[in-house]
Amino acid sequence: MLARRIPSILPNLTFEEALEITKIHSIAGMLPNQVPITTIRPFRAPHHTITIGSLVGGGKIPKPGEISLAHYGVLFLDELTEFQRSTLEVLRGPLEDRIVNISRVNTSLTYPCNFMLVASMNPCPCGYYGSSEKQCTCTAEMVRKYMAKISGPLLDRIDIQIEVCPVKYDKLEQKQEIETSEIIKERVNKARKIQIERYKTQGIYANAELTPKLIEKYCQLNKGSREMIKKAFSQFNLSARAYSRILKVARTIADLEEKQSIEEKHIAEAIQYRNLDRKYWK
Amino acid sequence: MVVYTKFILMDFIQNLNFQENEVKMLSIIKSMSLQGLEGFLIDVQVDVSAGMPNWEVVGLPDVSVKEAKERVRTAIKNSGYEFPSRKIVINLAPADIRKEGSFYDLPIAVGILIDFGEIKEQFLDKTVILGELSLDGKINHVNGVLPMCIEAKKLGMKRVILSQKDAEEAAIIEDIEVIGVETLKQVVRYLNQKEKINCTKTDVHSLFIKEQKYLLDFSEVRGQENAKRALEVAAARIT
Repeated sequence: MLARRIPSILPNLTFEEALEITKIHSIAGMLPNQVPITTIRPFRAPHHTITIGSLVGGGKIPKPGEISLAHYGVLFLDELTEFQRSTLEVLRGPLEDRIVNISRVNTSLTYPCNFMLVASMNPCPCGYYGSSEKQCTCTAEMVRKYMAKISGPLLDRIDIQIEVCPVKYDKLEQKQEIETSEIIKERVNKARKIQIERYKTQGIYANAELTPKLIEKYCQLNKGSREMIKKAFSQFNLSARAYSRILKVARTIADLEEKQSIEEKHIAEAIQYRNLDRKYWK
Repeated sequence: MVVYTKFILMDFIQNLNFQENEVKMLSIIKSMSLQGLEGFLIDVQVDVSAGMPNWEVVGLPDVSVKEAKERVRTAIKNSGYEFPSRKIVINLAPADIRKEGSFYDLPIAVGILIDFGEIKEQFLDKTVILGELSLDGKINHVNGVLPMCIEAKKLGMKRVILSQKDAEEAAIIEDIEVIGVETLKQVVRYLNQKEKINCTKTDVHSLFIKEQKYLLDFSEVRGQENAKRALEVAAARIT
């Protein structure tokens, strides 16, 4: 429900981006009928029975896969634990490189795949592990096995992890106004503009692209936030990758508030987006 | 045995006739193919000669290309043109790259019709032809038109002839004449300059701005504020 609405808060495509997507969709035969060009960011939600070939691209003469069809858009993997483990592991490289290189005997092709990965899953087979509403009926072994379907390295690459609780009845009844996508999109656009302005001499566009050297330059912490991340690092047993990713997320949160420097609350929110893996994957 | 001899004899006589009023033996049509996200130019070389009626496609075609011969033969026949039995050799050059897809149907058909003397060739300079034929001579949609047209323009091609359904997509590329056609017969008449077809134009920039609305909205989801916040942060940090 929420995932499907993500493209509505992503900034509008530029014409060049749209052309690049249209090329991929044209080859795959997926252009819309009424317009000859893709105008909105793609949202791809393949079923969990998907094969490696159709996910990253394949065939005798390799065709673009779902990750390339989601270029500049969203790839949504519902029920992440139900996917074949080997299928998920192939995502590791493309997630870092933003391109996928497919080699066959006769050809070697490169397709772009700059997508946002969004995934959802249950915490255990019965779905209530860690819930405050209902008792989980799974054994510890069952939960462990269920979680083990997602590998650590893949999880490490997921920057923002949250628990979603069921909506309470009175929330459904509430008549109060809810924020529209347009308002959220405005904030997102503002934050992006700040980033583009800040990195214009560096040849990158967004916080997600920061290299370790640039992180040092642009994600400086004050004393309080340094203490906080130090504590989290040892307590949650974070990896070096997770550390730099927390800094990047914190930088984004500060940008959303249009703040120059990263404050404690920004770091705190960023750390909170990471602790899920420590809670379940022990 | 008698029937067989008669058949060869008839064919022999036909061949004799063919050589007499022969118009052309070999024709080369420009078409496009795909290599990943890039298009590349293909020469469809069609040679019709006297000999045992036979049809050979070379140049590493896959099944969908080999099947073209049945579609082309039937489409030509059903468009009202004669299809004498000849030896036909088709080469898709460069011959060392694997070809797949159904976009060679139309260039093959045009090549054959040139060899049979139905089409005059002079109008084919710097013209790319692609399209799939259906048995009744209609021209169907093919995939990957945009990347192919981008490459065609880069190579200095002037005109591209393809299905009416794909014309708008091809017209995204400016400075190349896009001729959208519906039937094989129309292509023949166009190439013989008996019919004028206006080239397709798309004002893609205004279309692009008009169609950008995303239909779903966050305001339809009640509660889940923390998830919405997380998605907002995610949206703000990527390119």
